Amino acid sequence: MNVIRSEWTKLRSVRSTWIAVLSTISSAVALSVLGSSDLSDVSPTNLPADWDPTAASLDGFLFAQLVIGMLGALSITPEFHNGMIGTSLATVPARSRLLAAKAIVVTAIALVTSLVTTLLTFTGGQIMVSRAGLPAAGIGDPGVAGALIGATLYLTFIALIGAGIGTVTRSTASSLAVLVGALLLVPALGPSLPGFVGEWFARYWPITAGQAAYKVVPMSDMVTPVLGIVILALAAAATTVAGHAAFRVRDV
Amino acid sequence: MLPTESATRSAYAVGIRAEGLTKQYGDKAAVSDLSFSAEPGVITGFLGPNGSGKSTTLRMLLGLVRPTQGKITIGGHHIAELDDPARTIGTLLDARAIHPHRTAQDHLLAFAHAAGLGRERVDEVLEIVGLTDAATRRAGEYSLGMKQRLGIATALLGDPGVLVFDEPLNGLDPEGIRWIRTLMRKMAAEGRTILFSSHLMSEMELTADNLIVIGQGRLIAESTLDEFVRAHTTQGVTVRTASRVELVRALNRAGIKLEETPDSGLLVHGVDSATVGRIAAAEGIALEELTKVRESLEDIFLRLTHDVTDYGSQPA
Ligand SMILES: Nc1ncnc2c1ncn2[C@@H]1O[C@H](COP(=O)(O)OP(=O)(O)OP(=O)(O)O)[C@@H](O)[C@H]1O
Ligand SMILES: [Mg+2]
Repeated sequence: MNVIRSEWTKLRSVRSTWIAVLSTISSAVALSVLGSSDLSDVSPTNLPADWDPTAASLDGFLFAQLVIGMLGALSITPEFHNGMIGTSLATVPARSRLLAAKAIVVTAIALVTSLVTTLLTFTGGQIMVSRAGLPAAGIGDPGVAGALIGATLYLTFIALIGAGIGTVTRSTASSLAVLVGALLLVPALGPSLPGFVGEWFARYWPITAGQAAYKVVPMSDMVTPVLGIVILALAAAATTVAGHAAFRVRDV
Repeated sequence: MLPTESATRSAYAVGIRAEGLTKQYGDKAAVSDLSFSAEPGVITGFLGPNGSGKSTTLRMLLGLVRPTQGKITIGGHHIAELDDPARTIGTLLDARAIHPHRTAQDHLLAFAHAAGLGRERVDEVLEIVGLTDAATRRAGEYSLGMKQRLGIATALLGDPGVLVFDEPLNGLDPEGIRWIRTLMRKMAAEGRTILFSSHLMSEMELTADNLIVIGQGRLIAESTLDEFVRAHTTQGVTVRTASRVELVRALNRAGIKLEETPDSGLLVHGVDSATVGRIAAAEGIALEELTKVRESLEDIFLRLTHDVTDYGSQPA
C-alpha cells in the first residue's frame, strides 16, 4: 500500500501525467466530432447495413490511444532518464513490488481517463449524428453499454502495454516509436501482407482485435468483441510480463 | 576516531561489508575482488580516481547492480533481504536524479510514502537541509548545491542507520562542503555508518575517519586516516649536489629509493635527512641542499593510485 501511494505521488505530481490525461480525452472527442462531419453523405432513409454510430464515434481513439499509451510509458521512462530509478530501488529493493505498484497506479489513472474519454467521445459523436438527422445510439440500446465498457478496457489495456514497453525500452522516445508502430503502422500495413500473414494481422493483431470490443454491430472481418478484448488483455499481460522480466534481471 | 561509547550502544549499529566483490563488464573488471568494511560511528571515506569503481561498488551495495562474484551487505544482509530498507539505509547516488518538473516537496513525499512516512517527516528533513523555503519550487530550478541538499534530505527520510553518498561534495561551494561535512560528523556521532566516496584526497583529509582507497577496482589501502598518513607519508628528503651520480650510486648501495625531481634535484624516500647526510659525508660528497619534505596526502594518493590509474597522465 505504501509503495502504491508513493507511485501515485510520483505520477500525480508531474504535469506530463495530466497533460496526457487531458490530451487523451480531448483528442478523442475532437477526432470523433470532426470524423462525423462526413455524415452528410449518409441518408437517414437508406442507412448502411452495418450502421454503428457507437463504433463510429469511438473511431476518434486513433490518436488518443497513442497518448494514453505514452501515459503508461511515462510512468517509468523518466526515472531511467534522470536516474531516479536508483533511489526508487534503494527505497523499495523488491523490484516486482515497485513495478506492480506502478502498474496499479497506471491502471487506476488509465481506467478513469478511459471511462471519461469513452463517455465524452460517445456523447459527442451521438450529438453530431443527431444533428445530421440520423438515428443516434443511446446508452440503453442493446449492446451499447457493452461496447462502451469494451472501449474503456481497450484504452486501459493500451496504457498498460505502454507501461510494459516503457519498462523494456527504458526510453521515452523509443516507447513512442514502438507505440506508433504497434498502434498505427502495423494495423494499417499488416493486413496488406500477402496471404495468411495478412489475414492474421487483419483479425488477430491485438490492437486490431481489441477494436472489435467496441463494435455494437458484429463485423464479419473482425473477431467477436469478447475475443477481441481477451486478445488485447493477453497482449497487455505479455508486455507486462516482458517488462517485469527485463526489470528484474537488468542492472540499473 | 574510535566510536564514542554512546555510539556503540546506539540502536543504529549496522555496518557495511564487502567480501570478494567483483563486477565484470565484458572483459573489463570495474570492481575486482574487493573486500572492506565500514563501521558504525565513523565516517568512512571511499577514495579512488575516476573510473576506479566507486559508483559501481555503491550500486552493488544498493542492489542496483548485480555482482559478478562476491557480495556486499548491510549488517550481514543483502539490501533486498532487509525488513525495512528505507529505514535501514539512505542514499544519495546522483543529485541530478530528480524529475525536473516535480517540486522538492512532492519528490520527498513520494519516497516518504514508500517508507511508510508522511508529510511531517518531509517537513522535518526539509528543515534539516535548509530547503523549507524552496520546498514548493520545481527541483529542476534548483542549483546543484540545492539538488545536493535535496538528495541528502531524501537519504535522511527514513532516519536510517546507514548513509551512503556518492561524491556528495562534488560541485559544492565551500559553504556547502562545510555543511555536508558537519552533517556527516553529526550523523556519525549518533552512531550511524557513513560511507561516502570521492576522487579527491583533499576532501577526505578533513572529513573521513577511516579510508578505503581503491584503484582500478582493487583495494589499495584500508585503514584509519591517521594510520594511512603515518604508513604512507614516507619521510622524504630533497638533496641537491654537484656530484649527483656519486650520490645516487651511494644511496642505491644503501638500498635507499630515490627519484629525480623536475628541477634536477633528488627526492629520497623513506629516510631522514641525517641518514642522507651521513652517507654523503662517508663518500665525501658535498651537499648543496638537504631539505626535509612531507608529502601532501594528495601526493600520497596520486603515488599510490598512479600505477593503477587508467587515465593517469604521464609524469613530466
Ligand atoms: N554499465 C556499464 N557498462 C560498462 N562499463 C561500465 C558500466 N558502468 C561502469 N563501467 C566501467 O566501470 C569502471 C568503473 O566505473 P565507476 O563509475 O564505478 O567509477 P567511479 O570510481 O565511480 O568513477 P568516477 O570517479 O568518475 O565517478 C569504469 O571504467 C566504467 O567505464
Ligand atoms: Mg562515480
